[in-house]
Amino acid sequence: MRITPIKPDNAIIRFFEVSKRFGASDAVVGITFDIPRNDFLFISGPSGAGKSTLMKLLYMGERVTGGYIIVDGMNLNRIGRRQIPMVRRKLGVIFQDFKLVASKTVFDNVALVLEVAGLRSRKEIRRKVMDVLDTVGMSDRPDAFPLTLSGGEQQRIAVARAMVGQPKIILADEPTASLDPDSAEKIFNLLLAAHAGGATVVITTHDRDLLARGGSNIIFLEGGRFANRFSRVGGGVG
Amino acid sequence: MIDTFRRAFTDFFRHKYLHGICVATIALSVFIISAFGLFLINAGEVMEGWQRGIRVIAYLGDRMPEPERTALMETIRQYPEVAGIDYISGEAAFEWLKKEIGRQSTLLNGLSENPLPDSIEIRLKDGIAGVGVVDALAAKVRALPKIAEVEYAQRWLHRFNGIYRLFKLTGLVLIGMIFTAMMMIVANTVRLILYSRGEEIKITRIIGADESFIKYPLYVEGLLLGFFGGAIGLLMLFGAYTATVPRLSPGGLLMFYQIRFIPADLTAMILMTSMLVGWLGCFFSIRKFLDI
Repeated sequence: MRITPIKPDNAIIRFFEVSKRFGASDAVVGITFDIPRNDFLFISGPSGAGKSTLMKLLYMGERVTGGYIIVDGMNLNRIGRRQIPMVRRKLGVIFQDFKLVASKTVFDNVALVLEVAGLRSRKEIRRKVMDVLDTVGMSDRPDAFPLTLSGGEQQRIAVARAMVGQPKIILADEPTASLDPDSAEKIFNLLLAAHAGGATVVITTHDRDLLARGGSNIIFLEGGRFANRFSRVGGGVG
Repeated sequence: MIDTFRRAFTDFFRHKYLHGICVATIALSVFIISAFGLFLINAGEVMEGWQRGIRVIAYLGDRMPEPERTALMETIRQYPEVAGIDYISGEAAFEWLKKEIGRQSTLLNGLSENPLPDSIEIRLKDGIAGVGVVDALAAKVRALPKIAEVEYAQRWLHRFNGIYRLFKLTGLVLIGMIFTAMMMIVANTVRLILYSRGEEIKITRIIGADESFIKYPLYVEGLLLGFFGGAIGLLMLFGAYTATVPRLSPGGLLMFYQIRFIPADLTAMILMTSMLVGWLGCFFSIRKFLDI
């Protein structure tokens, strides 16, 4: 199913007839939609709908088997192996299981993004990391190791890591699925803050409470296919 | 560059357990290899010393007139292997024998004439060593006219040389085998280290790290593994050397030889080889692990 595309200039992410097959099974089939710049988009659907696969395709954890994806003007089909890091540096990615490096401190986990991006000044790295830790309310525990923190705290570190490089796009794959309601609320508010700061935020979730809280668009997937799209631009569900 | 080293050092000391195992493996291998090296170096020097000390004795057939003898000695003196020669008359040799056997010298009084022939003692130059050289010189001298017999410690020389060569060959084969085993163990231990850090590497890639950001600190870590392993292995050997060598009996074979430790240049070479092994172990494991 296709939807009317938005103006290409305004789209930061474009999916066109995107398919992904794992062996004999289709994870995603012929998906086409655009995500405008500075959108706050939910991708929802039941388990196995293809939400996480779409995320993996976006951060190039997987390659499409059909169609193409354009991210901030780059056709991912034409990105060579060596160029993948350049694409990933444009993104901030948040996972359900946090994916923090257990052997590194909170500070080092967040600083890693800046080091990877080539920032060499330790002073600058310290300033940026402490700023973002302050934003997520974790500036008092920079030397803690992830496994000594609660799930909600770990996810806040993951959000800090996603935000510290000031990426144009933040991808959050089920970011609140393993958190209690209070922690989920905090994470959601942080994502709203990132969006307010100019980032395009894409969240996959099957949590109806989270869907009810905000965001401008919701895309529903089912069985790996595009099922529906709701727009809340202007206040209501369209 | 500085950043790469900083991250390598931080990660090296952060993963103490597996790195410790790898360092211990390298240290043990370096210890064994260096111990063989120490033995071969000293055994080689003992052999060289023996060969340097060898004298070839040429026995003259008949009593030779002095002009003829002088000409013969001059011919021998001209050989490039020869450092110097001494003429020992039969009478002088007989007197020396009497002195040597002391009280039993009365036994010699029964002899009607001196049975010892005149001889020429040939000393070899310091730089000239090797059984082949001594054999060749002896053959040349033996071929000269009026030379009845040529003697030198041929049997001993050949036997010891044979033993030394066997040790050397065995030692080199063993060193080669241990070296290969060490590299394989290091490569596998590094692979274990990489597996234990698989998630970390995966996460680092997801946040945009390129291959060099991941690889270079690991290469430095490989060099550090080799350096610390090599240094500890050499220190262990030095400890064993200082603990045992001074306690060895000064008699016997060690009377004329001082057992020395591995020379500084070879020590540096062992350390660098150890670092190379650490790096190679990392290189092969990373290639396989990262599928580069």
